[in-house]
Amino acid sequence: MVKTASKFSSDFFIHFYGYKVNGKSILGVMTLAAEHGAELELEFDGSDEKEAMKTITELIDNKFGLKDE
Amino acid sequence: MSKVESIDHKVISGISANSGIAIGNIVCINSNRRKVLPKSISETEVDTHLKIFKDGRSALLDELSGMLDYLDEQSGSIIDTQKQIVLDSEVEKRVESLIKNELLSSDFAVYKTFCDFIERLKESGSELFRQRIVDLENLRDRFIDVICDDDNSFSVKKGTILVTKELSPTELVSLHAEGLSGLVMEKGGITSHAALIAQSLEIPCIVSAKSATSKAFNTKGVLDGREGVLILDPEKELLDSYKSKLKKFKRAQKRLLDNINEPSETKSGTEFFLSANIEFESELNQLKKYNATNIGLLRTEGLLFSNKTAFDEQVRFYESVLSATEGSVTFRLFDVGGDKLNAKIPEEGNPFLGWRGIRMLLDEKELLETQLKALLICAGKNKGRVKILVPMISVEEEIIALKAIIEELQNKLRNEGIKIDEKVALGAMIEVPSAALNARNLTEHLDFMSIGTNDLTQYTMAVDRGNEKICSLYQQQHPAIWELIKITVEAAVKTNTEIAVCGELAGNVLGACGLVGLGIRNLSMIPNAIPRIKEELISHNDSEFNELAESFLAASNTTQIKKIFEDWRVH
Repeated sequence: MVKTASKFSSDFFIHFYGYKVNGKSILGVMTLAAEHGAELELEFDGSDEKEAMKTITELIDNKFGLKDE
Repeated sequence: MSKVESIDHKVISGISANSGIAIGNIVCINSNRRKVLPKSISETEVDTHLKIFKDGRSALLDELSGMLDYLDEQSGSIIDTQKQIVLDSEVEKRVESLIKNELLSSDFAVYKTFCDFIERLKESGSELFRQRIVDLENLRDRFIDVICDDDNSFSVKKGTILVTKELSPTELVSLHAEGLSGLVMEKGGITSHAALIAQSLEIPCIVSAKSATSKAFNTKGVLDGREGVLILDPEKELLDSYKSKLKKFKRAQKRLLDNINEPSETKSGTEFFLSANIEFESELNQLKKYNATNIGLLRTEGLLFSNKTAFDEQVRFYESVLSATEGSVTFRLFDVGGDKLNAKIPEEGNPFLGWRGIRMLLDEKELLETQLKALLICAGKNKGRVKILVPMISVEEEIIALKAIIEELQNKLRNEGIKIDEKVALGAMIEVPSAALNARNLTEHLDFMSIGTNDLTQYTMAVDRGNEKICSLYQQQHPAIWELIKITVEAAVKTNTEIAVCGELAGNVLGACGLVGLGIRNLSMIPNAIPRIKEELISHNDSEFNELAESFLAASNTTQIKKIFEDWRVH
């Protein structure tokens, strides 16, 4: 997710239990320690915010595209 | 003094992270990690310290990249993550701010930034992340070593068993090069990075060995990785028994490697072919190492993910793969769901049962035709070596439609005077139960079939292996899977169609034996599985394999199948 988010110029923040972290930072996202099923609030801000939001939410909805084979 | 106590004193136990036996001198490192003290700098030094940080970072990235040569794919991905962390934008922002605004030295700025993140991870209390903490601390310390140009590394003599609090992946790789024979760590779990790398370097390893560094002393020792124990100063009898075990183990290892150059034949003289599953160019050097002539599965999705789908880029990648071997290469067309495309598609309720593989490709004509054209041109230049494999076939019409497109493209190329391979082989992945059950009709349109046991298992058992609650139901060795494979093989035999297996089952010893028993002679697997599969396949004769497959088909569950295999193997 961090890799994908970094492709966009918009800022991307994740809110979780009162924390706010930079969604383009692997360490930031790790420190959220969000477990499966956690509710996250995503904040996008910038010129390509709409597209960034669409891509990231799709990524999450599709369970990060994990597929075997 | 009781006897138990004296024994306790001589054994250090922990959790097995990698099996194997090491006998050697114990070296115990009991040093604590450094503490970095805050140092102020003046305004005029800010630029210098910013540069020190950036230079240190590039040096560390180079060091990490240099390790990739030693590691397999899984461990390589660990290093990639570490590189991502080193390059983290948040790390950069904070370090630079500490240097610029707080006027702190670069080493302390890095130290503090990492410590802050580590503290927050500790607060989260998640077990998985607790193991990551050790990794982060190691990465932090290495970062500071590089910045300060300190060489905090140490060296060991060949055969040493190291007892330490923790070890970074970088240190482990360099100690391995010096001949480290075993590793005991106080910290870390079996999925910590050092443990995973110990596995890929085949170093016996124990983790979570509490107070190991205070109990161990420099003496001779035996590390039994499987049991998770380090025996200090063992008695002669015990030592001898371990020596003979180690000898046997080494002999077996050597035999595995010697076997690579032996002919691939069962004891009855039946030839079989073990080929490689490949995704990235960086894996191509493994073909020679494991003596694999053919690539039984080349995944092409990497091109999509890295946005390299332009015709020229595809041709370049395919040519590079073809030039790495003299054998055939089975190119699988893009095997992804629609979510990987830039196309705006409505959300799917169930993507694994959705618009993916051939279903998506037939709709995305341009994507499909560009890939086919690139492959057909490469096929013309490398006659007989390019095979095209179609993913996710569930009905006959899909293969008919694809065939028509290929013929049309071939005609166009022929008319343009471009060299083509008239007989370019076309095959279908058999990974949906309907394709397996209907294989006899599919073969009419096919030159070969390749069974993808991973997806076949997912779709047959109706289970997503990534779902922790139910992943134990994901059983590639289940009798139902064997039945589907048997039906597919029978169809292939009847119609004289070539058949291969490229899923995980082929790279598993039980699986490979059963598949050969069913009459399959082409198995494709991750390259480093080839030696042990070959060892097993050259050790039995055809009737033994056939009997094994028969009993798999007669079994009623996976537990039975595993038991049958164990008994079969020792008889």
